Amino acid sequence: MAETKSPSVGIRSWQVVLLAVIFGLIVLFYKGLWGNPSYIPPVLVGTAAPEITAPDLYQPKEVSLSQFRGKVVVLNFWASWCQECKLEHQNLLAVQKHFAQNPNFVMLGVNYQDKEDLARQYLQEHGNNFNHIRDAKGRISIDYGVYGVPETFVIDQNGVIRHKLIGPIMGDNYTFLIEQMVEPLLNGTATAS
Amino acid sequence: MIKYWILIPVLLILFSSFSTAQTLTDDQLQVRVKEVAKTLRCAVCQSESVWESNAELAIQMRDIIRERLVQGQSPDEIRAYFVSRYGDFILLQPRTFVGMNWLLWGGPFLLLILGGTFLFRTLRKWVAQTAPPPPEDLSPLDERSRKRVEQALRSFESDK
Repeated sequence: MAETKSPSVGIRSWQVVLLAVIFGLIVLFYKGLWGNPSYIPPVLVGTAAPEITAPDLYQPKEVSLSQFRGKVVVLNFWASWCQECKLEHQNLLAVQKHFAQNPNFVMLGVNYQDKEDLARQYLQEHGNNFNHIRDAKGRISIDYGVYGVPETFVIDQNGVIRHKLIGPIMGDNYTFLIEQMVEPLLNGTATAS
Repeated sequence: MIKYWILIPVLLILFSSFSTAQTLTDDQLQVRVKEVAKTLRCAVCQSESVWESNAELAIQMRDIIRERLVQGQSPDEIRAYFVSRYGDFILLQPRTFVGMNWLLWGGPFLLLILGGTFLFRTLRKWVAQTAPPPPEDLSPLDERSRKRVEQALRSFESDK
């Protein structure tokens, strides 16, 4: 006796495909409900850090990023008008203090869209133990894809951006920066990006 | 000496025409800046374009667009620069076939094809299931029903 194929088998397979597509869309929409909608995923991580040539905040000289090639550079974008920058400032000083004895470590502040005198006054009030450059026209910030302050970049000895931290260096960010990013790069134990 | 007096209005006319040309160039440049800036998202006021936003970052981005246009870069080259810094997020209109963007553009059509196919097959199945029975399966009309049909037909004919 010949087996008769159920006419609903083909339709069932289509139903499965449709359900899978609809389920996939629901998952995508659900994922879209979470997270920070204004967060811009960094695209420069793993690429060569754009060259910087900018005036020093204190001395009448130009500072370039290429002069630090061979060193681990922590680049911190900040401004005196930024409230979150005040929150992280003592931690930044602590990071610099932590690696001060290592000749292969450099911390560089980039003063973002700020008035020179206000920036100096801010550092005088809150303390300072590392160098700062000025980004008066915002060119450096745009070159680094910065869209708010504070933002911090970790650049390795080869001039490659290894990480970008959005927001203040506090709590987990602070521990991560020291233990997971800078120390492994300085010790040569960091995994390739 | 008189020759110099004659030269002054000539120079004035030449200078004013040069200024007009310069203004026109600036206007044209502004139009081109607007064209590019309207396609880019302000990274601060993210629901506004770089052209509409008054955020400091948007103003600086407009300056960069202007500078690069003056340098001779094309709008696509300028957009590519901002994409290299901020990713596709910076584009108000996503690129067509880059990464998962094909899903964004092709998704509705894919759903339309899938849904349409499913609907077509389902309707075809329903039609097959509810098809009128073949004539041999029809039971013959009884006398009462036949009279009613004839009566209805007659009234229909007389109404015409």
